[in-house]
Amino acid sequence: MAALPTMRQLGCLRSLIKTQEAIQPQLARRFISTAYSQRPQRVPLPQNLPEQFLSQLPTRMLPENAPKPIKVYTPPPSARKACKDPIGKVTELQLETLDPKGERKALFDYRRNPRSIKPGDIIRVTFKNGDPFNGVVLSIKLRGIDTSFLLRNELTRVAVEMSVKVFNPNVQSVEIVQRAQRKIRRARLYYMRSRKHDRRSVENVVNAYVRQKRAFMGGGKR
Amino acid sequence: MIQLKTLLTCIDNSGASVVECVNVLKKKRPATIGDRIVVVVQKQRAAGSEGSSATALASKVRRGDIRHAVVVRVKKELQRDDGTVVRFGDNACVLVNKAGDPIGSRMNGIVGQELRGKKWSKILSLAPVHV
Repeated sequence: MAALPTMRQLGCLRSLIKTQEAIQPQLARRFISTAYSQRPQRVPLPQNLPEQFLSQLPTRMLPENAPKPIKVYTPPPSARKACKDPIGKVTELQLETLDPKGERKALFDYRRNPRSIKPGDIIRVTFKNGDPFNGVVLSIKLRGIDTSFLLRNELTRVAVEMSVKVFNPNVQSVEIVQRAQRKIRRARLYYMRSRKHDRRSVENVVNAYVRQKRAFMGGGKR
Repeated sequence: MIQLKTLLTCIDNSGASVVECVNVLKKKRPATIGDRIVVVVQKQRAAGSEGSSATALASKVRRGDIRHAVVVRVKKELQRDDGTVVRFGDNACVLVNKAGDPIGSRMNGIVGQELRGKKWSKILSLAPVHV
């Protein structure tokens, strides 16, 4: 049987209570477990506690079992603060040994140096062991110490591509044989691999250059 | 990346012009320059085009013969110790006998320098150019 209002006259106070709850609806909806309550502070033992009372205390509250202060160590000095750009620094260090005068860097920095080697040029690379490689520059990858260029040529009717690192200590010299005849609008000339745009062999251009160079140098090597 | 069914050009004067790889020896991976493979001769070089002396040489291998070969050029780029990367325009090989001596006596075409490190200097010395 449902309780009638006449039976419970104090029920009219209920509405008053509800309005008070609406003021803090958030708190009212919280679970008990999530309600924040401060951790109880540790109450220190009275200063002048007679020693005979100590035995009555639980062992965890005995003065010798009091929590020891945790030792806090200062963090080690931050490596990041000491060196903001470690990779840049390593690159610089390596460039110092591999390219002290910065000539190689300038020779291939086609973004900044207008006289540098550019894609489309024909160049001749001579290695330390003496054998040269000639080819059209298809691309120059500017990657700091890993900067490299891609050469393409045709030797004995077989296409050969060689990617050489600019700061490779095995590279003795890099010579520009011929500049690109037309203005090249692209940075990567991979279209030259297609049959239609293939430059084919550049050996005759290079041979003419070598002959000319020898004539200028006077006799050349025999 | 020479593996089963790869077609290679044969660049020696043994008589084969196109060969097909049927096995890569001493390796569980695709073959590269300097690796020994087993091939089947698919196409013979046209006899008589190189003169009467060459026809005798051309009969060294026949179509359908199973031979050993050494890969000398690959399309897959190959990185050397100094960071230089080399890539050729085709896959090519040279036929060798079981002892490892080349069957042909002449070679036409460029070969990779990796042959030197793999004890194929005999092939390297036969080749007109190496890169």
